[in-house]
Amino acid sequence: MSLGAGWAYAETAKKPDQPSYEKMQLLADILTIVENEYVEPVETHTLIEGALNGALAKLDPHSSYVPPTVFSEQRVAARREYGGLGIEVIMEDGYIKINYALEEGPAYAAGIRSGDFITAVEGETILGLELDEAVEGIRGLEGDPVTVTVLTPDQEPRDVTVVRAQVRGRAIRHRVEEGLGYVVIESFNNDKLTSDLERALELLQEELGGEIPGLIIDLRGNRGGLLTQSVSVSGLFLDGGEVLSVRGREDVDTERYHAESGELLPDMPIVVLVSPGSASAAEILAGSLQDRGRAIVIGRRTFGKGSVQSVIPLPGNKGALRMTTQRYYTPSGKSIQGRGIMPDLLVSALDDEGELRRRLREDSLPNALRNSDTSDYEEIYENVMFPPEEFPIDEDFQLHTAVEILESKRYQELLDAQSDLD
Amino acid sequence: MKYILPVVGTVAAVGLFAFSTANQAALAVEKPSYSDTFEQLDLFADVMARVRSDYVVEVEDGELIEDAINGMLQSLDPHSSYVNPNDFRRLQEQTSGRYVGVGMEVTQEDGYVKVVAPIDGSPAKEAGIKSGDYITEINGKTVLGLSLTEAVNTIRGEAGESVTLTIARIDEEPQDFTLVRREVDREVVTYEIKDGVPYIRISQFNEKASPGLTGAIDELNRQVDGKLPGVVLDLRTNPGGLLDQSIKISSVFLDGGEVVSTRGRDGANEQSYNAEPGQLLKGIPVVVLIDEASASASEIVAGAIQDRGRGVVMGMTSFGKGSVQSLIPLRGGRDGALRLTTQRYYTPSGRSIQGTGIDPDLFVSSYPDDGEDHTRMTEADLPNSIINEDASNEEATEEESQTIIDYPPEGFVVADDYQLQQAIALLKSGNYNQRLAELQN
Repeated sequence: MSLGAGWAYAETAKKPDQPSYEKMQLLADILTIVENEYVEPVETHTLIEGALNGALAKLDPHSSYVPPTVFSEQRVAARREYGGLGIEVIMEDGYIKINYALEEGPAYAAGIRSGDFITAVEGETILGLELDEAVEGIRGLEGDPVTVTVLTPDQEPRDVTVVRAQVRGRAIRHRVEEGLGYVVIESFNNDKLTSDLERALELLQEELGGEIPGLIIDLRGNRGGLLTQSVSVSGLFLDGGEVLSVRGREDVDTERYHAESGELLPDMPIVVLVSPGSASAAEILAGSLQDRGRAIVIGRRTFGKGSVQSVIPLPGNKGALRMTTQRYYTPSGKSIQGRGIMPDLLVSALDDEGELRRRLREDSLPNALRNSDTSDYEEIYENVMFPPEEFPIDEDFQLHTAVEILESKRYQELLDAQSDLD
Repeated sequence: MKYILPVVGTVAAVGLFAFSTANQAALAVEKPSYSDTFEQLDLFADVMARVRSDYVVEVEDGELIEDAINGMLQSLDPHSSYVNPNDFRRLQEQTSGRYVGVGMEVTQEDGYVKVVAPIDGSPAKEAGIKSGDYITEINGKTVLGLSLTEAVNTIRGEAGESVTLTIARIDEEPQDFTLVRREVDREVVTYEIKDGVPYIRISQFNEKASPGLTGAIDELNRQVDGKLPGVVLDLRTNPGGLLDQSIKISSVFLDGGEVVSTRGRDGANEQSYNAEPGQLLKGIPVVVLIDEASASASEIVAGAIQDRGRGVVMGMTSFGKGSVQSLIPLRGGRDGALRLTTQRYYTPSGRSIQGTGIDPDLFVSSYPDDGEDHTRMTEADLPNSIINEDASNEEATEEESQTIIDYPPEGFVVADDYQLQQAIALLKSGNYNQRLAELQN
């Protein structure tokens, strides 16, 4: 940006408007007075950080200044890498069972596969250990080798030496639930999400003997992440056509995102689980599958973050500007900003308390962007399904309901009701 | 919410400030520390340019930069802020205690403007506007839908111009009053003889405070034939005001000597403020009433009287604002002003009350001991407040739990003001001198 010193020099490539020039001068004056006169010594960068936050926070709740230290941390977090073997494990019969071995991970390279057990680490049995303690022994410094005793069912145990490496975590978990496929997408902040999901669907197909009779995609509490991932994940289940459109300040700036033609599992029924914590990219996925009649969405009304932020690195290692630059629209042209996605069936995870408690959503945030659509969007208490009294407190009623829907003709009924609305 | 005319917009109620000379500001602008400042301003300008070109909706960048200025100052402490030109003008009026208007205290009720009281000698009083009147229209336009600030701004205007108020009274037809605006003085000192004891209340330390106090003492003296038995000085809920007024008020009770000292950055530029010699109330017993909302200039007066052994301080621990703000006009006030914390102040014994407040000599609560928490917000509760450098002060607060608080007896009506009754009782008991001597030890 050439405007850098615009506040001080009249002759710049892009001369600022007069009023803003005066205000810039005012800010510069105040900054100097504070530096010289304040009761305690102050750092200039702290003052400018305060100024940037003051200005950006007034724009909307998602625009902010990201200081250099935080910016570099965030970049690491977005990659979600950690030292280890590249396996996801559970405890079964006192041993570690491999639930999933990441294909690019060192364990996979050493021949360890999903379904294998680890019975000992460095020759010491793990029988009697808690999962945390057992995993502790496996983790270590990158580059250090660790020897584990691996038991593949119906084979002799063998010792395998694996060199620990930086490993990327999956943003999903999958398992078979009541004979159906169940996938939890925790976050869209992972650029391998789509391929991880494809791989998980293959594994589910194998485990279910070739065909997945129904799929539950759990997006509850998913705060979103990368826009591109939400588009490509939606594309797995749609045969071409629009997934979403994104518009900047001017309508002419509209960008349309389309699914690739050819969908992965066209006949497989899908139920998407959502909650008030499902935001942004999660709402794009739920919204596009709902709008296109490809899935039934159940749970509670989602968060309602219908804006896209650009993270703009600032020159000279000065951190980054996170700024709302666009709004997005579902295939039917609706903005979910402040409104969220309304499920086809409202299902509560919590017991009936006689009323719906207000949950934190976009529309309760100060300075939230407005939606030009002001028609009713609140959930109606009478329409919400609550767990029956006898329902066990430690079980997941929303998941239970998703299974019931997929196993009955309720799925087709809800799908028909969806198209009646269009 | 109760507002006092003149309304002061967003200017915080709690304040203690000294007017800075224009020179100081000019000097400051002339010697910027170029390199880092320059680079940081570049960063700021860069971000603003990107917001202007790419933000999802168009933004007015004048507003954006004002938000930035506020954000910058709020990151310092709760008392530093930018005062825009409108608020600056009102602030000047507030500190002078003189403004152009029709002269009434107003509040808002059911969407209408309600008169709390007309000010003596004002156009409103002369026209016969009374406490409890409702203003339903201003110049023929309804006040419904207006905020109190908006309504007040409409009532006010240039001196010599008139404004028509439609007044509704219970059981009467609405009536139009046309008033001509002029300069009105708002008194901040009230007084009366209560149960035989002179009682003086100062509600705020503006420029009217010191003349108001001497006037009150003259009048009270006249009423008791020059034999003042003692004085209750009520500084409860007084949020402070001008530093020099706190010195002048203290001078009424103290014969010379230090009232307060201030220090700038790193303890530099220490400045001592002394009472004028020749106290007005020599030898007359004084009880000062304070509470959690007594702040800044109030705390200076209470602290000086306490440290110098001049009177008994009674009530509850005060707010704890131990910093001084300078009001620095920007470009001669055309751009408003900067209210900036530039100094800390210290009582004559050298203590800072920042975040801790003044503990009264005698703790008296106005609320019964009903197990409920009646404490209000204090400086230490404010986000981002500057910390007291003297850690021993914090230990002192810890010990407060051992202090004995005098609560009103069961069934006592809060409105009957137990703290004031106890103050009067002490002055009438004949034990005042003995108590004061005890407190010195």
